[in-house]
Amino acid sequence: MQIELHNVHKTYEGAQPLHVLKGVNLSIEKGEFVSIMGASGSGKSTLLNILGILDNYDEGEYFVDGQLIKNLSERSAARYRNKMLGFVFQSFNLISFKTAVENVELPLFYQGVGRKRRHDMAMEYLERLGLKEWAGHYPNEMSGGQKQRVAIARALITHPQIILADEPTGALDSKTSVEVMELLGQLNREEKVTIIVVTHESGVANCTNRIIHIKDGVIGNIEENSRHNASAFGTTTVMK
Amino acid sequence: MHDLFTEVWESVRRNRLRTILTGFAVAWGIFMIIVLLGAGNGLMGAFNQGGRDFASNTMMMGGGWTTKPYDGLKEGRRVRLDMSDMERLDKEPFAQYVDDVTTTHTQGGFTMTYGRRYYTNVSLCGTFPSYSDMNKIQIVAGRFINEKDINERRKVIVLSNLMAQNFLNGGNNFRDLLGKRVKVGNFSFQVIGIRKGDESSDDRDLYVPYSTIKTIFALDNRIDQMTFTFHGLNTEEENEAFEKELKASVNTAHRAAPDDESATWIWNRFTQNLQMEKGSRILHTALWIIGLFTLLGGIVGVSNIMLITVKERTHEFGIRKAIGASPWNIMKLIVAESVTITAFFGYIGMALGMLACTLMDKTLGQSEMEVFDQSIRLLVNPTVGMDVALEATLVLIIAGTLAGLAPARKAARVRPIEALRDE
Repeated sequence: MQIELHNVHKTYEGAQPLHVLKGVNLSIEKGEFVSIMGASGSGKSTLLNILGILDNYDEGEYFVDGQLIKNLSERSAARYRNKMLGFVFQSFNLISFKTAVENVELPLFYQGVGRKRRHDMAMEYLERLGLKEWAGHYPNEMSGGQKQRVAIARALITHPQIILADEPTGALDSKTSVEVMELLGQLNREEKVTIIVVTHESGVANCTNRIIHIKDGVIGNIEENSRHNASAFGTTTVMK
Repeated sequence: MHDLFTEVWESVRRNRLRTILTGFAVAWGIFMIIVLLGAGNGLMGAFNQGGRDFASNTMMMGGGWTTKPYDGLKEGRRVRLDMSDMERLDKEPFAQYVDDVTTTHTQGGFTMTYGRRYYTNVSLCGTFPSYSDMNKIQIVAGRFINEKDINERRKVIVLSNLMAQNFLNGGNNFRDLLGKRVKVGNFSFQVIGIRKGDESSDDRDLYVPYSTIKTIFALDNRIDQMTFTFHGLNTEEENEAFEKELKASVNTAHRAAPDDESATWIWNRFTQNLQMEKGSRILHTALWIIGLFTLLGGIVGVSNIMLITVKERTHEFGIRKAIGASPWNIMKLIVAESVTITAFFGYIGMALGMLACTLMDKTLGQSEMEVFDQSIRLLVNPTVGMDVALEATLVLIIAGTLAGLAPARKAARVRPIEALRDE
């Protein structure tokens, strides 16, 4: 089991404390391509933040590769994120004053990789994603799909075991959305990377092999979706 | 390092105007420090210039008026030193500290003539050979008075090069004047030496052997004052103890109370210099403090601008953290930017400050003021040395780090999820 959550609770403190996760139990195998689906307010983003070690949880246990991830120092959290995880965000989160290749290089910079080597590696990944000609361009000179592919290259460059994608198609049109999901699927098949996609779109969830429903802070039913068109969404459903 | 500075350069370039405006305050602060210290150095240089012509380890002693009744005598009596007091210095416990003892007797209001040329209002100054070392008299031709002159009461004279020039019709070959006779009042003297003059009132002093003048003016054993060089008294306390002992000894010999402060006076050039140095240090410190407070304004500005930068870049820092930047990585970025801004503009300020000091040296530093027919320079070498430049560099780096620290910690505390939410 690569990812395991036992009875994870999370409450946002405030004037009106918000109990977002109410005992989440979840396990994900290595190399899986899963989606976490839920309406807004269901706690899916909070769950993703905890999976991505971007946020702490109050109660329960979270294991990655048998390693308990709890109350980590900022420094070791940063190291885990850098070594094991790759992020793909809805709004791409590229650094606007850096070119595509510089953005892709950045995780390697924080690993201490030399300038020449990380540039070569970044170029290699951009080429694989068909963005070689765009390496010297700034994010605001690129289309949404291109930006998301740069973000995917950035997530991949450290060879992470897990890629976490938060609404990766949220800011893309339907055609590009299909391309991005196919790209993620391909990565999952070819690189054996575990990919976890958080979405509220059933069409996006349908591209994954397992759909985990979350509702009101607890895990609902889990659908096996290995035959991608078998479910209720099936062929008739469009992505948007 | 290269990567860090690339990042810093990118950030600074994106905010050119506000970086320049902030940097101006830093440059101004350092500029003030350099100019103040330069002016301070110039001022102290001018003060010290007066003392540079004398050996620093000399004391002068003379008689005064008693203020205490002692040994059956009333107060208000005049004390006059005599030759026995000079001999006293050659005996213990004073001899271990005292090197050379001299005295001078000056008689003024003479006219000196040489051929058809003359000088009015010159003074005959009877003295001893060691006077020349103590007062750093520079002989440009011939020699100063020697022991033989004293013993034989020779009528020989040392005069300044400016007078000699006048006597030689503006010529510079002073040797021509050696051996020639000049007339001072009704007395004829043979010129044995030409000394360097400095256009001050001292130039009108003509040096002759003390024994000669004693004979001519029929002086008794009494002397106006005595000057002596000393060694081995290195602190203010040691000097004070020596002075006290000497005064007590001289006072007693002249039937004045040993602790009577006014019966005799001592003027100690060494402690004078010590005090001058102390004053100089205080001035130096005060100028540093004023400069640092000026710089503080600039530093606060840098800190402020870094806080704004951090606020603006919160989202970016969130991204960096999400992909693996540690808090320290983020802190480094901000501190490096702060130090870079401070150091860069600090050096501009330093360069301008040094330029201003050089200008000050070229203008004010060259101007002289006439005070009592002595020319005094207002500022002597009003510049700062390499040491100040190094100190200022250190100040800049520390200041830049301090300015960046609070904003950097704020940046390091950015939580990635909050930052990523911040659209």
